[in-house]
Amino acid sequence: MLTLTLFFLCCTIAGLAIYLFIKMQRLKEADDKVTALSTSLEEMDEQAKLIMRTDIELNKAQEELDKKISGLNTLQKLSREMSTTLEEKQIFQKINKSHLEDLGFENAVAFLWKTLEREFQLCLNVGYSEAEILKIKSAVSINKDHYLELINHDRTISSTLIPADFLPKDKICELYLVCAFIICPILTQEGDQGFIFIGTSDNEIPITEGDRELIAVLANQIGQTLDNARLFEKTWRSQQELELKVEERTRQLTGALEEVKKISKRKSDFISSVSHEIRTPLTSIKGYAAILLAGKLGTLPEEMHSRLEKMNRHSDELVHMVNDLLDISRIESGKAEIKKENLNLKNITDKIADLFSEQLKNKNINFSSNIPDNCQEILADRNQIERVFINLVGNALKFTPQNGKIEIRASSINKITQIDVKDTGFGIPQDAQESIFEEFFRVDNTINQEVKGTGLGLALVKHIIEAHQGKIWVKSKVGEGSTFSFTLGATK
Amino acid sequence: MRYILTLMNIGIGFSESKDQIQAVNAAITQAIVELKNLRPSIAIIFTTIEFANPLVLKTANYLLGEIPILGCSSLGIITNQGIFKHGFSILLISLDQQTFFNTALIKELNKIDPITNGKNLGEKLLYGCNNVHRSLSIIFSDGLTASTAGILNGIQEKLGRSFPLIGASASDNLTFKKTYQYFNKELCSESCSGMLFGGKFNFGIGIKHGWNPLGKMRCVTKSSGNVIQEIENRPAVKLYQDYLAKDTWELSKELKRVSIFYPIGINLPGEKEYLLRNVISIKDDGSLVTQGDVPENSKIRLMISTKDSCFAATASACHEAKKNLGNKKIKFVIIFDSALRFSLLGRQHVKELAITKDVFGADTPLIGIYTYGEQGSLNPINYLGRSYFHNQTISVLAVGDQ
Repeated sequence: MLTLTLFFLCCTIAGLAIYLFIKMQRLKEADDKVTALSTSLEEMDEQAKLIMRTDIELNKAQEELDKKISGLNTLQKLSREMSTTLEEKQIFQKINKSHLEDLGFENAVAFLWKTLEREFQLCLNVGYSEAEILKIKSAVSINKDHYLELINHDRTISSTLIPADFLPKDKICELYLVCAFIICPILTQEGDQGFIFIGTSDNEIPITEGDRELIAVLANQIGQTLDNARLFEKTWRSQQELELKVEERTRQLTGALEEVKKISKRKSDFISSVSHEIRTPLTSIKGYAAILLAGKLGTLPEEMHSRLEKMNRHSDELVHMVNDLLDISRIESGKAEIKKENLNLKNITDKIADLFSEQLKNKNINFSSNIPDNCQEILADRNQIERVFINLVGNALKFTPQNGKIEIRASSINKITQIDVKDTGFGIPQDAQESIFEEFFRVDNTINQEVKGTGLGLALVKHIIEAHQGKIWVKSKVGEGSTFSFTLGATK
Repeated sequence: MRYILTLMNIGIGFSESKDQIQAVNAAITQAIVELKNLRPSIAIIFTTIEFANPLVLKTANYLLGEIPILGCSSLGIITNQGIFKHGFSILLISLDQQTFFNTALIKELNKIDPITNGKNLGEKLLYGCNNVHRSLSIIFSDGLTASTAGILNGIQEKLGRSFPLIGASASDNLTFKKTYQYFNKELCSESCSGMLFGGKFNFGIGIKHGWNPLGKMRCVTKSSGNVIQEIENRPAVKLYQDYLAKDTWELSKELKRVSIFYPIGINLPGEKEYLLRNVISIKDDGSLVTQGDVPENSKIRLMISTKDSCFAATASACHEAKKNLGNKKIKFVIIFDSALRFSLLGRQHVKELAITKDVFGADTPLIGIYTYGEQGSLNPINYLGRSYFHNQTISVLAVGDQ
């Protein structure tokens, strides 16, 4: 019984020992777990510290970055808006409250130093009442030397960076009613320079280097736009001055032209009246000469007869000259009526050939006309245009030597008929070609010295062609011949 | 038989005119026009700090007649049109006969203890309302007195621990010098005003902050009111020194940023969210002075957030307010948004308004302010949540048709 009791006791003790052992083991395991958890917690806490330290730096960087992005966007927007204007006053008007808020500010003023007036002039006011701005203007005026110093040394200052020689921060904040601010010079290549003040009453917003850079970029942009505006203004003024000068010159030239026209008219009137006065006694002289030559007053001695014939011939020449002068005068003064009608060019050239047939035959000159079918019809005054042909062909005949060639050609482009009278004559020197259509001009050559002429023929031709709204010109080479060309409107 | 239903109507007016009298006139006229010339029952006025002067209140009172006026100063005004750093805003409410309200004011908060102050306000609000169904209380307190949490406890002792309450601590332009509360013609500081709505009054509240805990939980071993002396038996400042590897001087220099980004989160038993506390200063002995009380033995952790999680919290608060209102048509929305969130979000603060408008609809009348503290429950579903004094949250009150 005792043995059995002892056995049970031993078993119980052994069981208890085993239980205790297991319990201790578990406690140890639990303790290890607690230690491990505590270590993990400590480690996590250390990690949390690292996270927090990194986070605070990241927040700072993020804040600065956000500010820069927002600022740059605003600057880009402002720059685009400012570049649309070239007027100095409007440049500052582009800056509004919304732009300032995007840049993180609320108030702004800008002043430009007017060198002549020796004072700062307000150009921008955002966020200040009339009374506030008056106070600011007055303070800027009193402290102008400080602001000029900033401009001259291109110094940007802010509430966090104020040089010792500038106004104290508190004074600036009190004046501009802000807690933080930036003052930046507006520099230009030429003309008035100034400064921009930008501020906020939010004392939570610190002014960073980034803010200063942004406002400096804005001030620079304003400066460049001011330069562009001033350059434009200068160019525009120069153009205006130039236009005024051109206008004045045109007015003077118009006056001179009117004067020339008046003189020309007076000349035409004079020639016309003189010609008429000369023609009347000439008709009498010619009449009496004809009576004498016809022997109606008795037979004249041979010498007297030859002298009278000379008088009669010279009188004819004089009549011819007077008629030409009268014609020119009439055309110039617009008194000559141009009766345009459809004419056949071939008929006219045939008539001219017939008229000059004797002289052509005498000098053995080959006369030809080449008038294509599409140039047959012209619109002109018959008498006047015949005078043109008579003059041009007559001249060609006069200056073309024996066995030469005279050709009349016609061509048509865009309803304009061009007629060329070409000869193989002596030609006209280059320097005389421009003056050949002037009245009383005669080319200085041997033919002209031998053959008499009035010097009015080509001038008359020119007037007739111009009265037909045509043009006349000459191409000539000495020794090869000349081509006189003129244009007329065709009927078709 | 013909029934005339007189439902609640509201009108909101705002002006940022620099001429204060002109601004008051313009905003009130705008609100009256929106109210379709119905007689307003009560006016809530929010202004920026420069409008906090007796003449403004006198003018408003003169223009509105003898109706109760409540409100406070703020860093900025939130309206449908945007966020304004200067201006005067007014919300006029015309209530039907099935809704009643009471208003009250307690002044000179620093003269007696906060809990007694709270009890006094609670009693005043309950005056004449003992036998009717009470719905909601809205309070406006001085944002620079350390006692708002205590006042809140006092009010709760009278109105009930889980009684729905939403409130704002007035702010200034972040200079933390002086804030103002408006009560009828009175311009006050160091005061707390409140209104109690009863009868048929449908509303939904949403409060969120968007911060998450990081690191080990720690115990506040010594504190008094809003001063944490020791954490884990070490000077409280060591917590920030350890986590940010900065000495006290560096921390003091960057305190505003540090406090906004990494506030202290108090773990509340039975609450999902942590209650945030901003550190407003560091004492020479290493104590941390917080905006709002931190009781001894509180379990705290440092909190971390991102702008995205802030925006997510804004959306979440709006959705919660909308959900809590049920299927009622929203009449208007009041927002109490932390001034420090405004600081944290910087240039992106307008996104919060965009999110709010997105949830409630762009045309839903909206008015709000930036505050130095928000009051409300962490979990206001079914009115069961207890109200706390918060930092860095956005509180949304959506009021629906009666």
